Amino acid sequence: MKRRTVLAAATLLAGSFMAAQPGQAQDVTLEFVVWNYSLETIQDNIRQFEAENPGIKVNLTDYTWPDYQDSLILRIRGNTPTDVVYGGQDWLPAWGSAGFIAPLEDVAPKEEIEALAADVAGFARTDVTYDGKIYGLPYYADTISFIYNKKILADAGIAVPTTWEEVTAAAEKLKAGGMDKPIVYEYNQELPNFYDAFVAQAYGRGAELFDAELNPLFADPGNGAYQQLAWLADAWSKGLVQAETHESKIIPAMNTGQHAFTIVYTYVLAALNNVADQPRAGEFALAPMPGATHSTLGFAKSYVITRQAADDPERAVAAWKLVNFMAGKPYTVAKRWAVEKGLGFGQLPLFQDQDVIEAWGKWADVKELGAQAERARAGTYTEFSSVWSAYFRPLLAKAMVGEASVEQTMKDGAERWNQLKEQFASR
Amino acid sequence: MWEIRRYPALWLLPALLPVALMTLYPVAYALWTSLHSVMLLFPGEPFVGLDNYLRVIQSNYFQDALTNSLVFTAAAAPLVVVLGTLIALFLRRRFFGVQVVRSIVLLPWVLPGAISAVLWIWVFHPSFGVLNGLLRDLHLIEGSIGWLTSPRLAFVSVVVAHVWTQIPFTVVLVMAALAAINPETLEAAAIDCKSSWRRFWYVIFPEIKAMIVVLIVYNALTAFTSYDLVYAMTGGGPGTATTLLSFQIWRESFSMYDFGAGSAVAFIVVLISAVLILAITRALPSDLFGSE
Repeated sequence: MKRRTVLAAATLLAGSFMAAQPGQAQDVTLEFVVWNYSLETIQDNIRQFEAENPGIKVNLTDYTWPDYQDSLILRIRGNTPTDVVYGGQDWLPAWGSAGFIAPLEDVAPKEEIEALAADVAGFARTDVTYDGKIYGLPYYADTISFIYNKKILADAGIAVPTTWEEVTAAAEKLKAGGMDKPIVYEYNQELPNFYDAFVAQAYGRGAELFDAELNPLFADPGNGAYQQLAWLADAWSKGLVQAETHESKIIPAMNTGQHAFTIVYTYVLAALNNVADQPRAGEFALAPMPGATHSTLGFAKSYVITRQAADDPERAVAAWKLVNFMAGKPYTVAKRWAVEKGLGFGQLPLFQDQDVIEAWGKWADVKELGAQAERARAGTYTEFSSVWSAYFRPLLAKAMVGEASVEQTMKDGAERWNQLKEQFASR
Repeated sequence: MWEIRRYPALWLLPALLPVALMTLYPVAYALWTSLHSVMLLFPGEPFVGLDNYLRVIQSNYFQDALTNSLVFTAAAAPLVVVLGTLIALFLRRRFFGVQVVRSIVLLPWVLPGAISAVLWIWVFHPSFGVLNGLLRDLHLIEGSIGWLTSPRLAFVSVVVAHVWTQIPFTVVLVMAALAAINPETLEAAAIDCKSSWRRFWYVIFPEIKAMIVVLIVYNALTAFTSYDLVYAMTGGGPGTATTLLSFQIWRESFSMYDFGAGSAVAFIVVLISAVLILAITRALPSDLFGSE
């Protein structure tokens, strides 16, 4: 009996010793949280990462895009293990301020991060920076584009519009010719991109929505954002606009040949011109955003590391390896997204990559695309901008369809911005 | 002696404790939240008294949401009860295939709200929706009608979808009430009343009116607190055209991350619901549930 007890104790001791051996990195399991775009590609990227890093296992969790931020905030507030997540430019300051995520310099050498950031386009770098520190590396970086149907315009003898007034004139001409709704618009107030698309249009006019002290400027009737909302309300009232709730519905709608213009993320152009499944592939092109400056909104979605991962040395090292694999040199994963899915990228060297140039040449004028990226500007994002955007989007939607005046909408939006600014400053 | 008096209370504890935990605690916590500034993305949770209530009531959304909820309730609840009663009366008849028809009528009941919403989106979709397709085939329209993107039409569309989802429950309960009527009464009525309407009004309705009242109250509350269909069909839009108070609770809490304001709206909804029930029951004859 005594011998058995000694044997059991020895076995237990041996077991615990083996478990405690240093360098057994297979003990590290990372929780990676994403929104559910192209999950099979993400899973394949993870498989490759795990093969290259045998010590690390990655569990993938996905949420739908509209519910992503809510789910993630509740997940982190609930202390659910979470290591690496997709971040959005509009959420990053709030997450950084709330301590949900950590600056990359907390998990990796600063020089290494700076070297990677040096390759990142200006607007994308702005989008991953909060309080002077870099919090993420780009998963993808893109612009919002004004897209038109070349064939429809050529058949109708209409030149590509360069101002919003010309867009109205072109749409009215097409409507008179029998096209019911020449413009198809992603109209979904629950999506952050609803606001982004509006900002992109205002940027086309050269608008500044906020000053350097983050005071709202858009309630001034002379501001381009104000004028753009008035333009949208006018286009709606003239029956020129067909509303669709998501970009995935814009693609088939544009491919019916019943619409000539739309304003969407640039990568949608890749789907529109996909010969494999779109009947009118090849008919679509992007033009500079109408307006005086032709600028547009550029933005970056990024891989960020949570504070809980950064505070655990083993997870921190593994999390940085994952981020570096997904977004770091030689930019294999970023290139894969660009070539296979048409996603934009923040890593500038990829603009010189022959595979990227060849792949993108199938659905876009790469030169035009590069010029647009150069003209693109980052948005204004603060700790409270995502909260404000959620408030403001339904007001915008209401004004577009003529249920509220442009003046009142912009006034209410500015008031709420100032309230939140004051509220945040008082905490 | 005191132990004997406490004995029943102690036996009730296993039931009372979970109830208290599952209802009283969340309610108390929600009340506490409504009196504090609880914003998930802001640090701290300072006490703000009634500020959340005031801000919510003065907000752009509240007036619209309150009006929409009341109109939605006033439109949907009577529609569900009237249509449900008519369908129940029809399904009482014996005809070939009645069992199949009964099953089809009950179908919406087994569908979750989100799935019903998806079905109705496909009916009302402007480009490839069934309804616009049908209207085009009948040459009644040429282009497309924005059923879910035009503010007034979106509201009507959501009411239609809500009514569709709620009818089966009403049908089942009215059929149960009809089954409880003495067959001899109905036979006598068939001889005495030639008109179907008179037969319904003077013989059948008095027998089922208690059930009808219950259904009106139930449907008023269901409509007033409706959420899932609106969320999935229109997201409260366009603008605030289909924003109901229950949806506004979600928007304040999970879209603007202001749990204090969300809880304040929730308490306002509870208050209005209580007033609504009281108003409906007060408006009814006092002998309604008594033996006749």
